[in-house]
Amino acid sequence: MNTENEHESVDLVDGTVVRQFARAALLAALMGAAALVTIPYPLSPAPVTLQVLVVFLAGLYLGPLWGGASIVLYLAAGAAGAPVFSNMTGGPGVLLSEPTAGFLWAFPIGALVVGLVVHRGLTLRDPADVPLPIVVVGLTAGLILIYAGGTSWFAWLIGTSLSEAAVTVAIPFVPADLLKLAAAVVIVRSGTIDTV
Amino acid sequence: MLTYEPDDTLAHRLDPRSKLAVQIGFAIAALAHTTPAGLVASTLLAGAILVTTRVPLWRTLWAYRFALVVLAAGPLVTMVSLGSPWVEPSDGVGPALASYRALLVLLVSAAYVRSTPIRDSRAAIQRTIPGKPGRLLSTGVALVFRFLPVLQRDLRTIRDAMAARLGTERSALERASTIGILGLSRAFTRADRLALAMQARCFSWNPTLPHLSFSRLDVPAFVLASALVLSLLV
Repeated sequence: MNTENEHESVDLVDGTVVRQFARAALLAALMGAAALVTIPYPLSPAPVTLQVLVVFLAGLYLGPLWGGASIVLYLAAGAAGAPVFSNMTGGPGVLLSEPTAGFLWAFPIGALVVGLVVHRGLTLRDPADVPLPIVVVGLTAGLILIYAGGTSWFAWLIGTSLSEAAVTVAIPFVPADLLKLAAAVVIVRSGTIDTV
Repeated sequence: MLTYEPDDTLAHRLDPRSKLAVQIGFAIAALAHTTPAGLVASTLLAGAILVTTRVPLWRTLWAYRFALVVLAAGPLVTMVSLGSPWVEPSDGVGPALASYRALLVLLVSAAYVRSTPIRDSRAAIQRTIPGKPGRLLSTGVALVFRFLPVLQRDLRTIRDAMAARLGTERSALERASTIGILGLSRAFTRADRLALAMQARCFSWNPTLPHLSFSRLDVPAFVLASALVLSLLV
């Protein structure tokens, strides 16, 4: 038999997976675009962007698995050279050497935790139907994890104590991030966005 | 817009994996050497890469014009202080060098984008990472590259429309949630159309990807990439 002409049949990707995947990819691109949307914020030396809000939305509207995957796609595209990190930087060097890269590494875990708490597992629910306290607890847990990642990375890289690191990279941003948490709650209560 | 253009330059003939290696090496070297001397070396190398890839410099800078504004804002903001002496140019030197370095990495990534079809990037990632995760990751990264400028324009449109309706007078919470709702619903509408188009084109786990093979041309590219990474030790 001539093996040259043997072809495996086409293994189509399931329709639901395609929809979730396309949404995850576009949300990853939105995450990159949000790096340019800065909020004027007096306390911070670095620009405050809407990226944490997009991490919340990933967990809320894509669930733990696809939400986390979406942020991983964002990091992978950035590592491959897309200018998606703050100040339009890209490339693997940012993930390896920037003092605030710990926040980037913690973003996928944050999205995962928000998704797990709000959807109580892997099956997606409409976040608008989830009781408000659960949404708030989920978002807060995600935010705390992001801060934990960012603070411990900075302390490790610069060689400061955890509390000094928190004063430098975490505490000044708390009011801005609480604003984004409130914005995520407003978006959920508006009920205008559907899950797949 | 910044996109792949068919051509016959040296970079177009290289394997995408060696181009990715050079891109990664350049980013690492540029981030490690922020001294003026290091930046001169990075500039010369970036210039050589841009010339051999025939990247149209002005059109590329124009494509990145909003990034340039952000990059220029960093050093300007650090120079200004509330109180005497108001403007302290020496404070801006560090951030200015960092911004310039970011611009160089950006321009080198433009060389990669101009010389590499998205299908080649996809094939490169897919052949490096095995199984279904590798397939989704490779396609997803290609989609992020493709849709990043589109969603940047979406967000700009939304913000312009808000400004035209005096949205800038509203509270920060209202502005953030409006951008969030409109940005996400636009992105999801695009995603649903994209999903339909991908299914219509038989998006599969086992696509026929372009054949990739290393040639003799790739050897110097890998040597350059290794040299850039090793420059960390200098």
